[in-house]
Amino acid sequence: MDNHEEIEQRLSRDKLLRLAVAAGGATILGARLDAAQAALAGLGAESGRLQVLDWAGYGNDGGQAMFAAYVKAHPKNKPQFSYMANESDALAKIHAGAKPDVFRPYVGWVKYFATSGLVQPWNPNLIPNFKHLNPFMVKAGQYKGKQYGIPNDWGFDAILYRSDKVTPKARSWGLLFDDRYKGKIAWFDDLEMLTIAGLYLGFDKPWRQTDAQLKKSQELLMKKKKLVRLIWSSETNLWEAFGSGDLWIAYAWPNDWVQMKKKKLKVVYMRPREKPIAWVGMFMLLKGTPRSRLAHAYVNAWSSARSGKWLEDNYGYGHANTLARPASSDLLKALRLTDPRAVTEPSAHLDRDIPRRALYARMWEEVKASG
Amino acid sequence: MAVAEAGSQPALRRRRLRVDLTTPTLLGLPLAWLGVFFVVPIAIVAAYSFNVYSLFPGPHGFTLRAWHDFLHSSVYLALFWKSVKMSLTVSAIIVLLAYPLAYYLALSGTKRKYVLLLLLIAPFLTSYLLRVLAWKVILGNQGVVNTFLFWTGLRSPDHPISQLLYSRFAVMLVLGYIWLPFVALPIFVSLENLDRRLLEAASDLGASRLQAFWRVTLPLSLPGVVAAFLFVFIPTLGEFVTPSLVGGANGYMYGNQIVDLFGTGFPDWETGSVLAIFLLGIVAILTVVFARFLQPRQVVAD
Repeated sequence: MDNHEEIEQRLSRDKLLRLAVAAGGATILGARLDAAQAALAGLGAESGRLQVLDWAGYGNDGGQAMFAAYVKAHPKNKPQFSYMANESDALAKIHAGAKPDVFRPYVGWVKYFATSGLVQPWNPNLIPNFKHLNPFMVKAGQYKGKQYGIPNDWGFDAILYRSDKVTPKARSWGLLFDDRYKGKIAWFDDLEMLTIAGLYLGFDKPWRQTDAQLKKSQELLMKKKKLVRLIWSSETNLWEAFGSGDLWIAYAWPNDWVQMKKKKLKVVYMRPREKPIAWVGMFMLLKGTPRSRLAHAYVNAWSSARSGKWLEDNYGYGHANTLARPASSDLLKALRLTDPRAVTEPSAHLDRDIPRRALYARMWEEVKASG
Repeated sequence: MAVAEAGSQPALRRRRLRVDLTTPTLLGLPLAWLGVFFVVPIAIVAAYSFNVYSLFPGPHGFTLRAWHDFLHSSVYLALFWKSVKMSLTVSAIIVLLAYPLAYYLALSGTKRKYVLLLLLIAPFLTSYLLRVLAWKVILGNQGVVNTFLFWTGLRSPDHPISQLLYSRFAVMLVLGYIWLPFVALPIFVSLENLDRRLLEAASDLGASRLQAFWRVTLPLSLPGVVAAFLFVFIPTLGEFVTPSLVGGANGYMYGNQIVDLFGTGFPDWETGSVLAIFLLGIVAILTVVFARFLQPRQVVAD
């Protein structure tokens, strides 16, 4: 059986129709055979369910609307989800043998994964919605000119506080370390707290602190930990504690401000003078994935303005598609969605690679263990 | 006779064979189970702690680096000591609380003791997570306790008792609540099996009820008390669910650190494994010590 016969047998009618579209109709009309074969290889060879490793809430546990277009177009290749608690968890799972076609670390991990040999670059040409994505986020997803991360959900890290209870001395990250509010402060459970300490202490490169600087940042956090009531890792946990009055000040995301406003609390979402940090979820493609084209189609569905609006309206995060607009004017304002540049300098620090991430992580764990 | 003897020898051999196979057959499965699902995983974790195995590809080999760092880390050892103190406090308090309860159930002669026992263990019919989460409703700033205090005027709504939740106290309170039935049951069983004639004899010999309790009941129930104490102390020492839900920054325990080293920030399975094996070692030593010095026959002999 020659190659052509084999390909024909593998293709069903609907695949042939999609093939015609994929190859621009040229194949069936007698255009170059190799172009047709490339398209055939893409559609015919990719079988099975797309394996997605994502955060809770982004799969069949509530996030269906954001990839509905993909499911509709690929009913036989519906995504199958496993969940990651964080990037570290995803990394451990992949090293332990998991083979997700797609997973979603955040922007600070782009360089790490790009150089790890675990992922391969995307082909933006296969993602029609790519052209609508925020160019600053798109650039942050690149390493050595290749697109390793497709930006999607995003938000700011800044400070939420109760304006009826708290009077900040300054618009500064220092509010998270203010002795006057002992027992009413929440930090975030992430090594990024060392970066924030570095920003507060005025270090020029908080993501690349020297040993001496890191020691100072860690000492600050250890010293101030006694003020902290909660080190949160889930937003619902934060909302519950902040909403009930257990907390007055918190490291928070824009949606947390919106949610607390909904509870009729007098809250301010403060952009510190040291600048907030912008985080961006980046879809990544596993190296050697057998479902590359399906993965591109899946990410394209997520990247649409429609999916973006749904994400903004229902989860309160920003979306990289610049055409997406939430119904909430508060969220629009908090995320500065009308200004794509708002996520980067001079307005904010776009989160970035931490070359000594393992050391930062260990030092953050020591902060949590201390006291 | 010779025929009879000849005929009985194969039967004897068969019986011996049956006897010889009985023990390994009975023990084989549980031992294999323990080996595969307990010993081997622990050996693997130990191998990670010495960097014999590594999560990341690349060169790695036996080293004591993580053990050295751990044993010279004031932070981790202080956290371990903090967890030990919390677990000891919880275990001691709930043993003291559970003893009178178990005593009443076992020795009061009430006909409803098994109904009461069932009520005691009824919370087990609900999920562990729900039982912990329920305490958030009770202990929060706007929870049952604070609302009651506002209502009575003992506290103003602007000044609730805020240390009830997200604190070391909250962790110990919830752990005590969760593990109380585990403590009461072994004590109940040891008291239930107490030979009542010994109490009668003590009474006949002139002992008061307090003396009889102190000289007879308590020593004979000590194995149950020790078992109960261990039932609580061992799991609470490595506890991480309750502290993560109600402990906040201050109620963080050693078990949380192990979980976080494996999964948060950047995976550090080597250090996480060291902490896990250290905990296992301490627990094993404590168990052996308790088992060695507080065996039932020794208590009876005293």
